[in-house]
Amino acid sequence: MHAVVFIKQVPQQNSVKITPDKQIDASGIEPIISLFDEYALEEALLQVEKNGGQVTVVTIGGEEQIDALRKALAMGANQAILVNDPALATIGSLDAAKVGAAVVKKLGDFDAIFCGKQSTDDETAVFGPALARYLGLPVLSYVFKVHELDANARRVVVDRAMETTTETVEASLPAVLTTVKDLNQPRYPSLLKIKKAQKADIPRWTAADLGLNPTELAPKVTYLDRVPPPPRPKGSIIDGASAQEKARKLVDALVDTQVI
Amino acid sequence: MANEIWLFVEEHNGELTAATKELISKARELAEGLGRHVAALVLSPRAAEIANHVFGYGVPKAYIVEDPALEHYTTDAYVGAAAALVKQYQPKVLLTGASFQMRDFTAALAADVDAGLGADCTGVAVRDGQIIAMRPSHGANVINTLGFNSDMVIVSLRRQVATEAQAVGGTGEIVRGQMPQLPQRMKVLKVEDKSNAVNLADSQIIVSGGRGLGSPENYEKLVPTLAQAFNGAYGASRAIVDAGWVPYERQVGQTGKTVSPKLYVACGISGAIQHLAGMRNSGTIVAINKDPDAPIFKVATYGLVGDVNELLPALTEIVEQKTRS
Ligand SMILES: Cc1cc2nc3c(=O)[nH]c(=O)nc-3n(C[C@H](O)[C@H](O)[C@H](O)COP(=O)(O)OP(=O)(O)OC[C@H]3O[C@@H](n4cnc5c(N)ncnc54)[C@H](O)[C@@H]3O)c2cc1C
Ligand SMILES: Nc1ncnc2c1ncn2[C@@H]1O[C@H](COP(=O)(O)O)[C@@H](O)[C@H]1O
Repeated sequence: MHAVVFIKQVPQQNSVKITPDKQIDASGIEPIISLFDEYALEEALLQVEKNGGQVTVVTIGGEEQIDALRKALAMGANQAILVNDPALATIGSLDAAKVGAAVVKKLGDFDAIFCGKQSTDDETAVFGPALARYLGLPVLSYVFKVHELDANARRVVVDRAMETTTETVEASLPAVLTTVKDLNQPRYPSLLKIKKAQKADIPRWTAADLGLNPTELAPKVTYLDRVPPPPRPKGSIIDGASAQEKARKLVDALVDTQVI
Repeated sequence: MANEIWLFVEEHNGELTAATKELISKARELAEGLGRHVAALVLSPRAAEIANHVFGYGVPKAYIVEDPALEHYTTDAYVGAAAALVKQYQPKVLLTGASFQMRDFTAALAADVDAGLGADCTGVAVRDGQIIAMRPSHGANVINTLGFNSDMVIVSLRRQVATEAQAVGGTGEIVRGQMPQLPQRMKVLKVEDKSNAVNLADSQIIVSGGRGLGSPENYEKLVPTLAQAFNGAYGASRAIVDAGWVPYERQVGQTGKTVSPKLYVACGISGAIQHLAGMRNSGTIVAINKDPDAPIFKVATYGLVGDVNELLPALTEIVEQKTRS
């Protein structure tokens, strides 16, 4: 089988700065593979180990994203592709999914596509379902267990973790799966594999390579403004001689302010 | 006909969900701002009956698809049905809730109908005759104001960002759409309620515990008990979810749930940036921590410095007295 995994590199923690032209500046923050994407990659690797085949990892983004792809290769992916085009520098998740669809079409044969349920920086949870629709495929989002993924029978059965229910859903392959935490235990690459991945050849594709016309990707959403969250109102420490007194004063304050 | 403000209707046990009632208020506000009309989108095997409930809240019109294929949500069936209606009637705006299901739905629908999409927003409004939406990103460290240059705008809205519409009685007009012929690619085999399931995003009061609780037994003894006294729900930091004390669905934070209850009580939680990402929009924040320099106190409305083992039982007792009286 051929599994395609979309991964994205994000700041490890989100104390980012906002530039005067309303872009996000994450300089100085350690970059990592977006948390949920590690589960996506691990699941693809596990399924390919079971079924035989290949894992391709794809990132749409700038040159700095190459580190995430190298880590994915070290974890065991067979091939990595970076779609890097200045015309795509500020695209959002919906348009990135359109680019992703063009990548998948160019790759040709595939059985399953894995993405994180949502990125930990933009946090839209849009990419996977949108990608599926652009490709005309079924999508299984919020997957936390893969019961069966059979490339020959072209069938996948998963559990989806919804807020208060668990859904067991069957779909035909190829399909797009988006993954939540704890679906599996992402592996640590060995030092040897990390070294090897440093030397791997990672092709860069442009929008033109994908037959995409940048005007098709003109964003439908613009950022009118980006600001840090408003500071929270100043709080106070509640003192008291005993735990009981502190607790009583707190409850009085909550009642006075009609919180309870 | 075109250019209406639509809202997606969800029902649970014969009642409109609280989220839907919030959407009705919001849709009405946008419709007034733009000089348009409000209409509901109802996809269900019982769509006509549900539409009648919506009319009772003053919504004058509903676009419905009534079909057995809509018994359980599948992206194929729901987005297929909605896309056909949207293409035919071309609403200006569609508002939905921001549950997992609706975020799957809105992403897929936006791709199908080429709409601009604001996902998981905390606000939507009319400014200078245009729709704008507010959405946090980067673990609530960035608040984005989105503008749209598409014909249609889809916005999924978080809970507790608008007042719930009130029932006023009334009737309305039903416009029926067809269930499109779709390939049978997806099938829901089973839907199971999670045991002890709680939708933290819906809870008005949340008591969360962290590593400061010391052990899973201690967490179990102190945190759910206080939550119960408040008649609220209980959550956790990632540290203790990863340690296996508490299941993942109770994790609050950047890689867990984002919540904005009226009251959030953080017990034995240090207040790491990734935890704050999930709860800093709460109304009132109470922090209970033995370390006076713990970062959680920077966002707290009220801070109690001390040991959770003493403060939580004391607090539980006093809250119980209050709520009994
Ligand atoms: C990519 C990424 C994503 C993450 N996502 C999340 C997330 O979604 N949610 C999340 O919560 N974290 C998340 N984290 C983890 C986060 O960085 C912290 O490690 C975590 O929140 C710490 O949990 P804690 O506050 O329970 O534990 P600690 O940081 O160990 O804090 C324990 C606190 O308890 C206090 N304490 C100890 N004993 C007592 C006592 N007897 N009485 C009172 N107070 C006491 C201590 O003073 C301390 O402040 C993420 C991290 C990364 C890298
Ligand atoms: N630029 C991108 N390149 C590769 N994968 C992406 C990109 N953007 C989003 N994804 C994938 O889609 C998931 C959801 O992202 P988002 O829709 O931004 O929340 C991520 O976890 C990735 O798996």
